[in-house]
Amino acid sequence: MSEKEERDNESDVSTPTLAAAEAAESDSKTTSESPKLPSSPVVKQKSNSKVDILLKPAGDAPIMKKKKWTVERSRKIAGVAEFIKKFIKMEPSESLFLYVNQSFAPSPDTEIGSIFDCFGSDGKLVLHYCRTQAWG
Amino acid sequence: MAEDREILKEIWEGKIPVCFELANEEIYTVEHPDPFFLLVPRLSYFPLVTDKVFKHMIKYVDPDNHSEMWLEYEGQPLRWHYPIGVLFDLYGHQSELPWKLTVHFQNFPEDELLHCPNKDAVESHFMSVLKEADALKHRGQAINSMQRKDHKTLWSGLMNDKFDQFWSVNKKLMENSGEEAFKYIPFRIYLTSKSSEHVVIQKLVKPSEDTGENVTLRHLLDVAVPDLSEKGELDKYHVVTQGIEPLLETPAVWMSEHLSYPDNFLHICLIPRVENES
Repeated sequence: MSEKEERDNESDVSTPTLAAAEAAESDSKTTSESPKLPSSPVVKQKSNSKVDILLKPAGDAPIMKKKKWTVERSRKIAGVAEFIKKFIKMEPSESLFLYVNQSFAPSPDTEIGSIFDCFGSDGKLVLHYCRTQAWG
Repeated sequence: MAEDREILKEIWEGKIPVCFELANEEIYTVEHPDPFFLLVPRLSYFPLVTDKVFKHMIKYVDPDNHSEMWLEYEGQPLRWHYPIGVLFDLYGHQSELPWKLTVHFQNFPEDELLHCPNKDAVESHFMSVLKEADALKHRGQAINSMQRKDHKTLWSGLMNDKFDQFWSVNKKLMENSGEEAFKYIPFRIYLTSKSSEHVVIQKLVKPSEDTGENVTLRHLLDVAVPDLSEKGELDKYHVVTQGIEPLLETPAVWMSEHLSYPDNFLHICLIPRVENES
């Protein structure tokens, strides 16, 4: 399969969004502790306001069954890390590191959109997650 | 090169006079602390230069009710992970000197600031940004070919304000010829709105057009903030970096080589001009 086809297949409508997954979770649980991620006021309902990310484990971090997610460009690195921690059932107090290019860890307040613009390829951004500082 | 060195040295030596005052409502003792004055390097980070401020102020707060020290300017909490010069250009550009900052030990603004447990946190932040910059310039090859001791030299050069030590290694990251020519210009734009909130914008910009022409600061802004440049609204902003407003015709690559912060990024602030300002 060519890269183009693969890309097209991957961008089908079934790609789950982080927001939807979080909403589903907070429906099923009634605990008040689920961290509601404030969505940034600059988010506009535009088709290009979301990007695809691919989450890959590094070190001893557990694999996520679903790797590919759609996230709002204005979502912060910290928000994605929180989401992964819940998904792989880590304690909120444990730390999780996210890496781009398997080399650097953007600061938690970095917006996904700008990392995607600079380091995304083939229409998606690959992020490695790790429980210890893997690189650097 | 001699001329380059002069510019780099001038940038390195940029300092800001700061007056630190403890937040009134956090003063616990009968006696009030004197303000604390420091001349801080633009290129450094607050946690690297405020040990003395901490020691001076901590005596006046409730010993049983305080947490990490944080700084505020006119209601705006200051992010420690931005270089000091960026914070000043962003918020203090039109302030009188010394720059008056408020010191806090309570009510840490969790939503706005990252915690800074120690100087190691600053080091790992700094190294990460440096790696990102090299990923843009040299696909990471320059920084990856260095040894750990080179990384340490960069860091201690910055921390101890040693220009020659820092540049002995940094020159390899600034290599810009032949195979090692910059692929992209590492830059971040801080776009401030009237409400003083800002967004950070980062895009891919090559040093030169396909025609071989140098990309200028104006081109870079066209890519980074197309909405503003299309509407011709750029002249409603001060374009500030390192405390100066470079001509928009300045080649971006020259700026990258001479006006970057030690993290190898250009940090460019767009500050709205005040009405009636000439």
